[in-house]
Amino acid sequence: MDMKEKPKVEEKVQGETTVEEKPTLPDTKEGKLVKALIEKAPYAEGEVIRERRIKFTVPVERIHEFLELASEKFEMLMQISVVDWLKEGQFEVTYQLWSVSESVHAFVKVRIPRDDAKLPTVMDIWPVAETYEREAHEFFGIVFEGNPRLGPFILEPREYEKHPLRKDFNTLSYVKTIYGEDFDRYDESKTNYVI
Amino acid sequence: MQNGDVVHYELKEFQLFEPLFRWARKKSLWIVAFCTGCGGIEMPPLATARYDFERFGIMPNPAPRMGDLFLITGYVTPKTLKRIIITYEMMQDPKYVLAHGSCPINGGVYWDSYNVVKQLDKYIPVDVAIAGCMPRAEAVMDGIMTIMKKIEDGTADGWKRYRENYEYYRKNQDELFGEGWREKDARRWLAWI
Ligand code: SF4
Repeated sequence: MDMKEKPKVEEKVQGETTVEEKPTLPDTKEGKLVKALIEKAPYAEGEVIRERRIKFTVPVERIHEFLELASEKFEMLMQISVVDWLKEGQFEVTYQLWSVSESVHAFVKVRIPRDDAKLPTVMDIWPVAETYEREAHEFFGIVFEGNPRLGPFILEPREYEKHPLRKDFNTLSYVKTIYGEDFDRYDESKTNYVI
Repeated sequence: MQNGDVVHYELKEFQLFEPLFRWARKKSLWIVAFCTGCGGIEMPPLATARYDFERFGIMPNPAPRMGDLFLITGYVTPKTLKRIIITYEMMQDPKYVLAHGSCPINGGVYWDSYNVVKQLDKYIPVDVAIAGCMPRAEAVMDGIMTIMKKIEDGTADGWKRYRENYEYYRKNQDELFGEGWREKDARRWLAWI
């Protein structure tokens, strides 16, 4: 694939008129999949990571629309995972899709602000999303509008309030308040780790 | 304890036969198959041909009412701990607890995790704890040997300690789960409690 890509990049440099920096898509089934979707949804960016793995980046407002389009090819929603980028003040939500017909794994990434974390639910596309959305809601506090069962799910209610997988959740102080200070693992002065 | 005078740990009439009973208990440890954490994976090698714990009379059995040995095989979360306490209280005396790994001792690798109980010994009495993450089957066999020795000389007395210090254990449990957790949660799974 690399061999094919290089000359095309050079062409762009010579031409200097094309401002587009989009890396060209390889002529494989993944490349064709990305191309077909991008043509239908020009607001999204797509790229091929490697064989059988592709990635899309979508703006928040159009995520539902995009996933609806994608669901024609990608029949399964495998997971919704979240990354907390504390410094940038954003959550990165990744919808992981699997195409049964093409055997391709797609990541659909969308970034939302941390303090106003809202996304439309995708339960109407894949009903299984209910569970994943509840989990993402519980651990990160993202509100999926339209999901009827958001609320305490796996954790104890007092943990649910704090959304423990957020990066600004101080686990050590929480542990000390809940389980007591007398566990012998950690020395506050950091001179003495008992392991 | 309110009914302290009704309960006899070891019947006076049978004191003479106590060594025999202890020997019998030691040789017929039935385990409660309640695998928490990573250590459930260490059970199959113990149970199968290589270590074969059935030759010591250890046998997995399905009901806590018939169990003697409660294996805590790894980290314990508050949610599991509720079930563990209820299961432990359902077991008949005498009952023994064997804790595998560092997690029940002091949290192990989850020492600062919001969701792992740090000292299991605060909530239920542990008779033997095996350190390691995860202890190999040899170490677990060693722990089982230790508990058999302790049963024989009468020092595996966690069930007595639980009765005698019930207030202490109960206080710690209530501190962790909040008052009335038995009524609120446990009754949902076990209607007769
Ligand atoms: S001690 Fe290690 S192996 Fe055992 S439960 Fe903890 S993390 Fe898992």
